[in-house]
Amino acid sequence: MQKIIGLLLLSLLSWSCSNDDSDMVLIDNPEIAFNIPSGFPELNAFFSQNKPTKYGVELGGKLFSEKRFSADNTISCSTCHIQVNAFTDHNAQAIGIEGRVGLRNTPSIQNLAFMKFYNWDGSKLQLETQPLVPIITHEEMDSSILEVIGKIKDDAPYKELFRKAFGDENITPERIYKSIAQFEYTLISANSKYDKVKRNEQSFTAGELQGCQTFEQKCASCHTTELFTDQSFRNIGFPINTNTSEAGRGRVTGGASDFMSFRVPTLRNIEYTAPYGSFGQFADLKSVLDYFDKGVLDAENLDPVFKDNDRRIPLTEEEKNNLIAFMKTLSDHDFLGN
Amino acid sequence: MQNLKKYFLVSIASLAFVSCSSDDDNPAANNVTLEFNNTFKNNTIVLGNAASASATANTSAAGQVHHFSELKYVISNIRLIKDNGDEVPYNVNDLDKGAAVIDQAKTTTLSYVLSNVPSAAYKQIKFGLGIKAEQNTLDQVRFPNFYAAAGANDTEMMWEWGSGYRFTKVEGFYDTDNKAMSIHTGSTVEGTAPNYTQGVNAYRDITLNLTTNAVVGSKAPKIKIEADFDKLLSGKTNTITLSTGTGMDNNATPNIHTAAQMVKFVDNLGGNGSSDITGIFSVTGVEN
Repeated sequence: MQKIIGLLLLSLLSWSCSNDDSDMVLIDNPEIAFNIPSGFPELNAFFSQNKPTKYGVELGGKLFSEKRFSADNTISCSTCHIQVNAFTDHNAQAIGIEGRVGLRNTPSIQNLAFMKFYNWDGSKLQLETQPLVPIITHEEMDSSILEVIGKIKDDAPYKELFRKAFGDENITPERIYKSIAQFEYTLISANSKYDKVKRNEQSFTAGELQGCQTFEQKCASCHTTELFTDQSFRNIGFPINTNTSEAGRGRVTGGASDFMSFRVPTLRNIEYTAPYGSFGQFADLKSVLDYFDKGVLDAENLDPVFKDNDRRIPLTEEEKNNLIAFMKTLSDHDFLGN
Repeated sequence: MQNLKKYFLVSIASLAFVSCSSDDDNPAANNVTLEFNNTFKNNTIVLGNAASASATANTSAAGQVHHFSELKYVISNIRLIKDNGDEVPYNVNDLDKGAAVIDQAKTTTLSYVLSNVPSAAYKQIKFGLGIKAEQNTLDQVRFPNFYAAAGANDTEMMWEWGSGYRFTKVEGFYDTDNKAMSIHTGSTVEGTAPNYTQGVNAYRDITLNLTTNAVVGSKAPKIKIEADFDKLLSGKTNTITLSTGTGMDNNATPNIHTAAQMVKFVDNLGGNGSSDITGIFSVTGVEN
């Protein structure tokens, strides 16, 4: 009996060896050069398991714009994640097929390779696990991954790209998730006026400079690092989304301290991502600053930044204008494609 | 290549050997039926809408009258324990063959038939309320049948944003003015057991002693399992008072997904894993 098992194992071994040999197809699909902008935080831990390759990114970009991801073939990722808006849109809450309104404001997609958490509530820690969510969500694409694969599997351009990216024409869920993540990893914004000033290539106007100073004083404790977010979750007393499914990060962790807490959003390209807030409560930057100045809603778990300061960030009109001027220096026109 | 063929043939032959010998070693097998009776205390639940006169009403320990319009839960990871203590797992790694959505509105789902259970006397059953984190990924390729059953329009046992299944879905009405109650449970964990990176693990392992041994062999026994939903609000772990609103303590509507509130329902339904390993479940009889 032992002999038979031994032979069986041996045969399996030689089987896989021969497989490797016959599958060796020479496709030149190099990893793409990935330059980490100076001062950026370290890469997400899962990045190294799915480094962007030339054809992986090309495939991911094509899938990102694929409307057949949705049940009625009307909506792709790029319907809501629009490049000129730093890959978000101008709707207060995301709008899916048949005009269905989602729970939250579409987040921008930029510098995700450096993020530890994804989504307003940090429900995902690995980018590759995210694409399935909009595909199956009723208010978004309302489809399923096998329905999607069924629609695209006979397309010659896809077959070719899957082969170039992954070695054969098999279209699998994992390959779809990985290629979309690879595409998103490459969306790096680090060439705004702010960045150029840091590199001594340009200089701030007087107003921008004053805005920068106010920012350092009154905003940078949360909107810190080169990502302009410390990636923490905070309840900052914004007007509350009364949808009963909403509880902010509390719905992920179950913790009372996370109730109605949301990720501190990046401020990069903020000029182009209005409206603001987890469900688009604020039409423009001025109204956000006015709200901070006037005072935010109280809550048991209101962030100490507000709790300890009479629930407000006092700002003069001049400070607000200068802050907005400074925030506009975070617009990266190369990234936005304009 | 010649060698490879030889090995391949030998391996096929060896597989044939293994299956032959296992046929010889294995005694006969038979079915075991799990029959679920969803109750308030000892009364089988009748579902009904807000104004229903026929729906079974129940009053919680906190004095809140309530009834259900919808009642569903997922069981998986089923194991039968032989009289000698040996554990016999039933397709525990295959949701298509070893997990089910029990739906009070669909009579056929109330009986779940375990097929080809090895002949023996069994004294205990274990199963999971919900799905273990490693299988709770909405993997349509691995488990297409369970995915379809859970995702069907009249089932709705998917939790899209968490990329997992709902473990329990109870819709109903409470208090004399019939306010909506909507209790959904499910896991939000990320990472791998036991050191999850974040989230709440809503899976609960249930252990039930049988009233008498279920003897599988020439006969196919039936194990009658009662799920007493009186304990949803009036449980061994928590006495829950429902309240409606958007605050952190309001728990009657789906925002219980969110707060620590959900765990209270989960512990009542499936036990807390330590002092309570039965939750709402008990075995009321075995028919041999």
